[in-house]
Amino acid sequence: MLKIENLIAAYGPVHALNDVSIEVPDGGFVAVVGPNGAGKTTLFKTISGTVPAKSGRITYHGVDLLSVAPPDRPKLGLAHVPEGRQVFKTLTVAENLEMGTYAATDHAAARRQLDLVFTLFPRLGERRAQLAGTLSGGEQQMLAIGRGLASNPKLLMLDEPSMGLAPAIVDNIFETIQGIHKDYGLTVLLVEQRAAEALGSCSYGYVLETGRVVLEGAPSDLMKDDRIKRAYLGM
Amino acid sequence: MERITSRTVGLLLGLIVLYGLAASLVTNSYYQLQLTLIPLWACYALAWNILSGNSGLISFGHASFFGSGAYLVVLLAVKFGMSPWLSIPVCLPLGALLGVLIGYPTFRLRGYYFALAMLAYPLALQNIFEWLGFQEVSMPIVRDAPAAHMQFTDPRIYTALSLALLLVVVFVALKVERSRFGMSLFAIKQNEPAAEAAGINTFKWKLRAIVVSGAISCVAGGFYAVVLLVVTPPSVFGAGVSAQALILTMFGGIGTIWGPLIGAITLIPLSEFFRAELAEKLPGIQGVIYGVAITLIVLLAPDGIFWRVKDRMTRGRAQSGSVAPEIPVSVLHGERPATGEVMLRVQNLSRAFGGLRAVDNVSFDVHSAEILGIIGPNGAGKTTLFNLLNGFLPPNEGSVNFQGKELVGMQPNQVCALGVARTFQVVRPFLRMTVRQNVIVGAFVSADTEAEAEVMADEALHRVGLTHKADALAQGLTNKELRLLELARALASRPKLLLMDETFAGLGRDEVEEMLETIRGLPAGGTTVVIIEHTMHAMVRLADRFVVLDHGAVIATGLPNVVTKDPQVIEAYLGKKWMALSAEN
Amino acid sequence: MLIEYGPQIEQFLNAVIAGVMTGALFGLMCAGVGLIYGVMGVVNFAQGEFMMLGMYLAYFFTSTLLQSVLGPIVGPFTAAILTGPVIFALGWLTHLVLLRPVTGVRGANVEAAGHYAQLILTLGLSLILANGGLILFGSSPTSVRTPLTSQAFQFEPFGDADVMLFINQNKLVVTVFAMALAAALWLFVHSTKTGRAMRAAADNPDAATYVGINVDGAHRLSFGIGVAATAIAGGMLATSISFQPYSGTEFVIIMYAGVVLGGVGSILGAFWGGMVIGMVQQLSGLFLDLQLQSTAIFVVFLLVLLFRPQGLFGKSAERT
Repeated sequence: MLKIENLIAAYGPVHALNDVSIEVPDGGFVAVVGPNGAGKTTLFKTISGTVPAKSGRITYHGVDLLSVAPPDRPKLGLAHVPEGRQVFKTLTVAENLEMGTYAATDHAAARRQLDLVFTLFPRLGERRAQLAGTLSGGEQQMLAIGRGLASNPKLLMLDEPSMGLAPAIVDNIFETIQGIHKDYGLTVLLVEQRAAEALGSCSYGYVLETGRVVLEGAPSDLMKDDRIKRAYLGM
Repeated sequence: MERITSRTVGLLLGLIVLYGLAASLVTNSYYQLQLTLIPLWACYALAWNILSGNSGLISFGHASFFGSGAYLVVLLAVKFGMSPWLSIPVCLPLGALLGVLIGYPTFRLRGYYFALAMLAYPLALQNIFEWLGFQEVSMPIVRDAPAAHMQFTDPRIYTALSLALLLVVVFVALKVERSRFGMSLFAIKQNEPAAEAAGINTFKWKLRAIVVSGAISCVAGGFYAVVLLVVTPPSVFGAGVSAQALILTMFGGIGTIWGPLIGAITLIPLSEFFRAELAEKLPGIQGVIYGVAITLIVLLAPDGIFWRVKDRMTRGRAQSGSVAPEIPVSVLHGERPATGEVMLRVQNLSRAFGGLRAVDNVSFDVHSAEILGIIGPNGAGKTTLFNLLNGFLPPNEGSVNFQGKELVGMQPNQVCALGVARTFQVVRPFLRMTVRQNVIVGAFVSADTEAEAEVMADEALHRVGLTHKADALAQGLTNKELRLLELARALASRPKLLLMDETFAGLGRDEVEEMLETIRGLPAGGTTVVIIEHTMHAMVRLADRFVVLDHGAVIATGLPNVVTKDPQVIEAYLGKKWMALSAEN
Repeated sequence: MLIEYGPQIEQFLNAVIAGVMTGALFGLMCAGVGLIYGVMGVVNFAQGEFMMLGMYLAYFFTSTLLQSVLGPIVGPFTAAILTGPVIFALGWLTHLVLLRPVTGVRGANVEAAGHYAQLILTLGLSLILANGGLILFGSSPTSVRTPLTSQAFQFEPFGDADVMLFINQNKLVVTVFAMALAAALWLFVHSTKTGRAMRAAADNPDAATYVGINVDGAHRLSFGIGVAATAIAGGMLATSISFQPYSGTEFVIIMYAGVVLGGVGSILGAFWGGMVIGMVQQLSGLFLDLQLQSTAIFVVFLLVLLFRPQGLFGKSAERT
């Protein structure tokens, strides 16, 4: 579904991504793990278009994504749940979710999708009229995921959903993500620092370190490989 | 910093003399008046530049000073018969006082609010003077010894006076620009927090700048009253007067004495010419010209004409300026001293934002001559910790004791003065200045004279191995060299403790090696290092000890090869259950 | 007692009425400014000039067309409303051509004016528009005549206490219109999908892009609507005051005083801020000379900036 080939992205002279190639098959659950500064968030930003790509290709269902204007990319069925939640703090929960449907063309399907979101996250349903900025960290993460799901996407991109959240809540979030993937056949691309949680849920994994893919394979193989630990801890 | 060269002095003197000679040939009194006004406006624009051009705090209300000077001179002449020879110098303390009164409260405002407040002051003054009944006040004509009251029949004398004023002002401006005064203001413009952390008392320098700027603007206004003879509130307090200073400088070139000069010599004759020719058919054409000029400049050459031209000229020369060979860093350092006593003691340091504990009861010691690495997964609170140590953020609880002194409660520039320096992740150098000029800013806090600062800067450049690039423009530096520049700037004050924030990000393998060598050599030069870093493969080879943070709290301290095997640390990075899951597999 | 203090009460109440009516108009003006500042973070020094153009446009529409077609009362008000779409288009173009290149650039040139760039750009624009107006329209004051301007409702609320209150009819109509339009603006921003998208774009431009909102387009829309609202306010103001091409500059501080007082980020706040400024202006006339009314506003503005920068209803302390 999503094919990234030899992607190079830079902030000024610093190369954040250096010749990265990643493939996400239809219906798959792909995890990209790596230590901080590896370029994981930059990867998503390049896919979504808020950071320009210096060279390389990104194809989505055959469409050259890099030639599509950033605000138009969600219409193709991509949903990006950003790092740090980034909910619209001055809008209510309901308004946040409505914004998630902004790119939707089929409005009836969008409404059904919102019902689905409230089923998955009943706590959001209880707080419909509450300002998103007043929610707890875990609730904001649910809202961010809900906002991503609201557009009825084909590909859900999640950027470090565990960041800054307490361990119990992190478990909850990952369970929900796995559930969404299994029950609705949604393709998931997950980027995470915490390799255990990510590799425990995915069907294929990539390890990113200082902008390069240093390892890839099935999660069971990756976890046996000492090189992951070295990528994170240096020894 | 850039010295005041005899070439610059010669050029300025030459231009002024040339202008004076040309003016002496003009007999038409209308043209002579224009020739008088051009240097006057140039003085006013130079004054504006001293504050706004150098520090980046754009003032939209310099008419407050200008108008006050004008009214002071004219009212003293009307009420007390005081000669402008006396009243114009009085404008200096008046302008300085106004500078303090306006600057003190207004500098606390940021960004747009500062601009809007500055805009409001002269408009309020305009209103007040109109209400006081001073709609139109004229300088009284003196029959007896008019020269003693600055009244001359030959209009060329006014031009001469105007040029004399310009001579003084341009050299004051030059002195400010090419001294630690100017460099400190540039540092504030470039990156105010970094300037604070480098020991520059930003508030004090801003205040000094507005005092000098206000004093000169006030004098310019006073002389304006003498030249034009009639003072009305809109003509000296109006928004157009404030805009004039801004537009002349920004058009000509911001942050350099040449900017106001270029702006004055081009825009004033241009607009005056159009006004004279077309005023009847196109009233207000002057304003349109100024408006178009500034709009085009912002869109096409945002720093002004001077810089646009200079950048074009230096484009070729941006390569390394010096022939000196690069000395491998490993050769430069002496023996690594043994780690000594506790230099920094952090105890129970805590800081929360809302409900989130960003730093949670953190305690650790730093020993002299060691290299301590602070590591932890993303979001662990490392940068917040540095901000607490530095003085950028006050802690909720806890203490930071540096060589017997309590740092909590101090301003960042005070912390730096005690001997704690810091580097920042995002390096924003003065691109148009040389490497040495960039580094020297860091030395001011410890240097008594500018000469001493230069020596300290060169010493710092030597310690990082950038001596061969000292005269190169910062524009042409590689990523690694920029990091070394940042390091040198922090080392210039001869700090005892250096806090390094993410120095290795984005460096290639070879560059990482060189960087490691450089940092390893720092304790030998008398600087203890605490470093935050994510690039673990570099850190494990650099640090003597690690302090590991997760969710704001310390979860492990100790030697690298011990800490990296600690299950708690492994799980902090790789996720819970990593040990269990990997054992399963 | 009522009889004793009759004159003062009369003066005070009339000032309050005038303050509310002036305030409503200022409120609409400020709501427009607040929209631009809240969504885009742009201080638009040319806002006053767009208002001035609205005034002249209203005059133009009235004198050439509407007066004859719709009569002397309905004509001017329709003209004021019609300035809206025209100035919207002008604002839309202005953003596209002038502002977008400047607000889109992020720290590319480090020594440049940085985020001051759009302040200075709009300063240049205001000079061009104000002086261009001088060239096109001449300097003699103009106004839009309507017979309601010189008519007022009179009533005595306290029986025979000799307290006579006046409500100028023209200003009353203007007040109603202004409040209606401000309410419409608020409804647009809070109850329509486009309006909410604009608020989302202001709240978090990156996240907005991720959900498919065109942030640049949202900025352009808000700029167009913002200047249009202020222009309509100007068109209505034109029926009660005389104006000339430099009238715009007088209002810039009033507009920003209102926005800052009400609190950045809130259109409702901006409206009430404008209302307060209008009250300050009229009530200060009770104990200050008329000439100092503007000074009173400036002083209030400075006090708010220095001591309560987040305003009365504001959410964020300041925008840097």
